[in-house]
Amino acid sequence: MRRAAVIGVGVTKFGKHDRTSAELFAEAARDALADAELPPSAVQALYYGNVVGGETEKQLHTGPQAASVLGIPTVPTTRFEAACASSHAAFRHAVMEVAAGLSDVVLVGGAERVLNVSTAEATEYFAYASDAVWEQSVGLTFPGVFALIARAHMAKHGTTEEQMAHVAVKNHRHGALNPKAQFQKEITLEEVLASAYVADPLKLYDCCPFTDGGAAVVLVSEEIARRRRRAIWVLGSAAASDSMLMHDKRDLARVPATERAAAAAYRQAGLGPENVDVVELHDCFTIAEIVATEGLGLFEPGSGGIAAEKGWTSLGGKVPVNTSGGLKAKGHPIGATGAAQIVEVVTQLRGEAGPRQVEGARIGLTHTLGGNTATVLVSLFGRD
Amino acid sequence: MTEPLITLKNFFERARDGALTGVRCGKCGALAIPPKEFCESCHQRAWEPVALSGQGTIASYTIIRVAPARHAAEAPYAVAVVKLKEGVSLLGRIVDMPLDKLQVGLPVKFRPLVSKDQTTVGFGPA
Repeated sequence: MRRAAVIGVGVTKFGKHDRTSAELFAEAARDALADAELPPSAVQALYYGNVVGGETEKQLHTGPQAASVLGIPTVPTTRFEAACASSHAAFRHAVMEVAAGLSDVVLVGGAERVLNVSTAEATEYFAYASDAVWEQSVGLTFPGVFALIARAHMAKHGTTEEQMAHVAVKNHRHGALNPKAQFQKEITLEEVLASAYVADPLKLYDCCPFTDGGAAVVLVSEEIARRRRRAIWVLGSAAASDSMLMHDKRDLARVPATERAAAAAYRQAGLGPENVDVVELHDCFTIAEIVATEGLGLFEPGSGGIAAEKGWTSLGGKVPVNTSGGLKAKGHPIGATGAAQIVEVVTQLRGEAGPRQVEGARIGLTHTLGGNTATVLVSLFGRD
Repeated sequence: MTEPLITLKNFFERARDGALTGVRCGKCGALAIPPKEFCESCHQRAWEPVALSGQGTIASYTIIRVAPARHAAEAPYAVAVVKLKEGVSLLGRIVDMPLDKLQVGLPVKFRPLVSKDQTTVGFGPA
């Protein structure tokens, strides 16, 4: 198997846009190609993530549409749908294509547009990633899924709403340092705790926002990467799945797919959680960050809430988590999120993150979760 | 094995009449909520239908206040994962119980929620 590396990254401003998802992806991809110092003609395949285009934009076949708007309509293009993990799933398959020697330059990314519909409509479309017969039918929402996890974590480990609020405060503090973030605004613990319940025990400020945006990365073979000074190596990329239905999960306080994907990625890289300097993980809700820090092995099971409270995951802490602001403050354009997390980790490992730089970061990890914790991807990155 | 499988349609037709049906693996004894083709534990296909009592306790719950478009008029409402006494769990809507009295461990009992031609899973007071 050949090694693969990321040599170009691009991401749009996250927030509300009056452009289609294809246009948002094309902007990010244009920037990623410029960063890679490669022309569009060098791209041999496009692996693309998009989730609710069929609902919010009445648009299927969004892969070729995105390629056409970018100006590379004849490049083989595949669209991935793995709920909120779509473009990370796309990335893993792109790594396999490069590793297998089929292509030397693969463009990976994704985009989403949802702020053109109402909150009630967007809530319904996101819930399509839950089971239609068993879960959508009784009115379960995505905040509801993670509220069930939060309540179970609180009952099992004593995690508190205040500990969850610390995650939101920290990610907003980081997001204030990221010019691409949807919310570049700090918030206080009191504001989080006083915000209205969306799905008890999760409040408005425990939840990531609806977001429009696009992200892209250029993945290349070792031969090409060696000619670039700022190449960031892919050290591991793994996927894991778990039961789709909440009622089939044996322990609601855990996300076993995170544990399995992390174990596989660490094994590929020959690394462990103690080697990781910077992490972008899937904080769609504050409890999701707490459970993910445990599942990735950064903290003991049940101690993720304490880690958040103590500031261990903050810039300057033991292991900085979500320096971009995370999904919570940077925003969560679901089809773009996996790629956007890779953009942040590559930026960190290059030492180009400016005021949010983790000094001396050499190893970075990205973690993306899809649906009812049924899909998880974990990738590890390193610089020379 | 030739046992008829419990389809989703079968499950909800029986649920409509108040009966919950699980499937038990004839090889390893694992209990599951249908439909399942192979046993998740031993990967055999030797299911036998079993009646579930519908009695259980709340394993986790939430009160949905921002609802999807088609449930917006019903909010706020509670959804819970209920651990049935036989050991399997079911997700359902909590009905006829005050939202501020819900807690993990509270006993509840299955109740079919029937509207027009759709049956969904509900739980009410034990």
